[in-house]
Amino acid sequence: MDWMRTLLNRILSIFRSRKLDADLDEELEAHIDLAIAENMQRGMKAEEARTAALRAFGGVAQIRETYRVQRGLPWLEIAARNVRITIRQLRRSPGFAITAILTLALGIGAVTSVFTVVDAVLLRPYAFRNPDRLVVLREEEMEGAQARIPIPDNYRHFMRLKSIATTLEDAAIFAQQGVSVSTSGDHPRVVGAVLTSPNLFHVLGVQPMLGRGFVVSDAQGAGEVAVLSYAGWQTYFASSPRALGQTLHINGDPVKVIGVLPPNIRFPEIALSPRISFQDTGQQIMLFLPLVPNKRDLEADMGNFNFKAIARLKPGVTLSQASSQLDTLQQTYSASAHLPIRLGISLTPLAEDATSGISGALWLLFAAVGAVLLMTCVNLANLQLARAVGAERETAVRAALGAGKVQLVIARFTESLIVALTGGAAGVALAFAGVQLLLALAPANVPRLGGVHINVPVLLFAASLSILAAIIFGTIPALRSLRVSPQTVLQANSARATNSREGRRTSNILVAMQVACALVLLITTGLVLRSFAHLLRQNRGFDSSHVIVAQTYLFSPEYDVDGAKGNAVRMEFADRTLAALRRLPGVQSAAITSVAPMTGETWVDNLYRPDHPVRHGTEPAINVRWIDPDYLTTMKIPLLAGRNFTTDDRADPYVALISEETARVGFSGEDPVGHFITDLLPDGKHNLKIVGVVANARINGLKDNAPIVYLPYWAYTPLSLSFLVKSPLPSDTLIPDIRHVIWQVDPQVAIPILKSLNDQVVDSVATDRFQTIVLTSFGAAALLLALMGIYGVLAYSISLRRQEFGIRMALGSDRRALVQLVLHQAAWPVLIGISVGLPVSFVILRWVRSLLYHTPLLDPLAIGGSVAVLVIAAIVAAIIPARRAASIDPMQELRME
Amino acid sequence: MGEQKFDVLQGTLDLMVLKTLETMGPLHGYGIARRIEQVSGNSLTLSQGTIYPALLRLEQRGWIRSEWGTSETNRRAKFYSLNRIGRKKIEEETENWERVSATMARILAPGS
Repeated sequence: MDWMRTLLNRILSIFRSRKLDADLDEELEAHIDLAIAENMQRGMKAEEARTAALRAFGGVAQIRETYRVQRGLPWLEIAARNVRITIRQLRRSPGFAITAILTLALGIGAVTSVFTVVDAVLLRPYAFRNPDRLVVLREEEMEGAQARIPIPDNYRHFMRLKSIATTLEDAAIFAQQGVSVSTSGDHPRVVGAVLTSPNLFHVLGVQPMLGRGFVVSDAQGAGEVAVLSYAGWQTYFASSPRALGQTLHINGDPVKVIGVLPPNIRFPEIALSPRISFQDTGQQIMLFLPLVPNKRDLEADMGNFNFKAIARLKPGVTLSQASSQLDTLQQTYSASAHLPIRLGISLTPLAEDATSGISGALWLLFAAVGAVLLMTCVNLANLQLARAVGAERETAVRAALGAGKVQLVIARFTESLIVALTGGAAGVALAFAGVQLLLALAPANVPRLGGVHINVPVLLFAASLSILAAIIFGTIPALRSLRVSPQTVLQANSARATNSREGRRTSNILVAMQVACALVLLITTGLVLRSFAHLLRQNRGFDSSHVIVAQTYLFSPEYDVDGAKGNAVRMEFADRTLAALRRLPGVQSAAITSVAPMTGETWVDNLYRPDHPVRHGTEPAINVRWIDPDYLTTMKIPLLAGRNFTTDDRADPYVALISEETARVGFSGEDPVGHFITDLLPDGKHNLKIVGVVANARINGLKDNAPIVYLPYWAYTPLSLSFLVKSPLPSDTLIPDIRHVIWQVDPQVAIPILKSLNDQVVDSVATDRFQTIVLTSFGAAALLLALMGIYGVLAYSISLRRQEFGIRMALGSDRRALVQLVLHQAAWPVLIGISVGLPVSFVILRWVRSLLYHTPLLDPLAIGGSVAVLVIAAIVAAIIPARRAASIDPMQELRME
Repeated sequence: MGEQKFDVLQGTLDLMVLKTLETMGPLHGYGIARRIEQVSGNSLTLSQGTIYPALLRLEQRGWIRSEWGTSETNRRAKFYSLNRIGRKKIEEETENWERVSATMARILAPGS
């Protein structure tokens, strides 16, 4: 009780120390006055009485000091004084403090923000039941002994495997597609939908928040029903609980809402096949529909590889056990059923598969983050070591004047702590800003970005690591300098003592390490930049300038009729729209294609040649595009041989144009013009006569050079059509006109894409751009860190050698020689760092290869450029302290000596 | 610093101050110091100033309290007085002291 009251009183007194001091003074004065008064009463004279009073009292100053110590909390006051002194000292060498604080801020900020995004996208599990038991099931086509190519699933194969596999608890098959949805007669909008076997939610372990999931009868066509995702519920029913039982028009048909999923469920983005580039991820999944298998689904053993599947492993079964069982089952089946190709099965963990498209980029970022964190710590260590070596003399002076060893270490510790905490706070602020920046830059197809919040454990990790580095490297040298006797240090001249050879070698090694790290990051950055530039600048084979693309989905039920009747209705829409677009003022040409450019490989079919049959299943894969005669001129794709389609073909539309690549894979050594291909029309087995060969064009995506077969839309008009409009008018004025024209022809048409083809191209490389921007900013951070490292150490060592430089100048050394001296000192660690960094880069770059597009790892420009940038940065970092060294006034320095 | 020796002295001084306040009632620092000197018959060589850290310690523990008042010579001075806890503590401390001095007496007694 007593000690608690005492402590409380002591703490309180800290805040009133001024008043209490005054009180004490008055009390002591009163004491002396009273004593004098009594003495005088006893007959002493004034002077005598005063002396006697003071003698009886004892040392006034001593008592006052004892009293003060006992009144407050002395250690706290000492600490506060230490902090004040340290801050004053740091202000005197702002270069050191600013460099250290910036280093910490940059390191912590960059590391935390990037790791936060990596963690949210790659590492955080899905909100499903035991998500680590979920796997993506894919068929694999086996070519030769080794090669296995993953392909989408065949419905019949899947159902068979599911019924006999003993290693799977359950498995769901589904397809993802855009559907047009209209709520109340509005223009329909295209949204993402999942057509799935009824057990999907059971496999994932997800309970609808409202209503129910699918039951088996839903998949037998018992009545059209839909389950909404949370986003779909918000969009179509404004989160109203009355949504259940309501009707939506999906592709023109009424569908009843039976359930709503909870908000934390995000459907994983799984590519149909890793080989097929996949672009419909931009569409948020709004609804789930039951997959009603048709005759082809149930019976076709070949073809119809159109599905994705997610399975849940049985408890206790490992991934490899399940994989090998399913693989064996499928291999046996493809042999016993005499399939023309050999099929196997591969299983991939769901989380891994869902991020496979971008995980390379993210892991590279992660490695870059590690390098930056390392550089941060090295930089801090180096700065602190330089500072500690510099403080050796000061320490010695203090020790000689009687400062306790503990106090000296505490002084250094205090300084490290202040720098570390200030930098740490700045780093935390930067981390928050960095996450926002990354989110703003991130392309729409990075999955799960919605759930990104700053990752606190990582923030703590990065912050504590760098803060620890700052403190440890700031304090340990202090311990060491205590072992040196003050005399040795004081006898030696200040400059020589502080710049001891040992200290300089350590800091040179650290600078070299930083330079090496920075070089690796810069070369990586350089290669990624070169790769991105190449991607944008390579010959695309088409001209995207002054072209607007409008992708449409026909919605009304009358379009969705099989056979000639439906085709005629769709063709009429296409004709009328084309004619109306061509009538728009300023339009040079308007064309049709069945697939909007830059949306990946779709309508993948095989090239069948009746005159040259190959073993079934080994026909080359091609992409089919339905176009009109103006397509080639609008896209500026050159005709290489034969002729373009003409309006005369309309009467007999069974003609085809093929791309150079198709000619290469299907007609090697022959002239394809005049040959026939077959089996490409959805309704009929017409032979198609090849009338021309056109140049390759990267219409699927800038990285894709798939063989293309162009067919006239008169032979078949699909439900989705894209219109291309070429006009010199700005796209802002043209886009509203185009929308107006299309909706005049039919207001019930969804227009999911309507923008300039240039924008469409730019958006298609958003992931690459994101990767490039982030890596570039990392390269810049590394460069900046290296620059600060070189500058900080050099500047500090020069500030300690001022007297030496003063003497040199007094002895006749000219300023240029001094600059050279400093540059020379700076050059060694940089050169060593570069010569170590280069071979290290070549080892590390092997992992970068997968991110590069047609760019050699030993790209001279990237490597030479990186070295040049680094050398220039080093010179800039060295020239400032060098010039300061040269501007020393010798007289002043010598006087100080 | 020789804190052990100081502690014994402190404890002794504390008890003297408490006892003085008990007998004399509210008193300023000078008065307390003088009273101790007089009672001890000047056998105790004590700087008067050392009374103040002792007073602060007792006040921090909450055994005594202080307030400004006017002395017999019309000088503004700080007056100390016992409070409830202090009164109780006097008994405890006195017992303590007696036990210690009895022990000391036994140890110092010749031939025991």
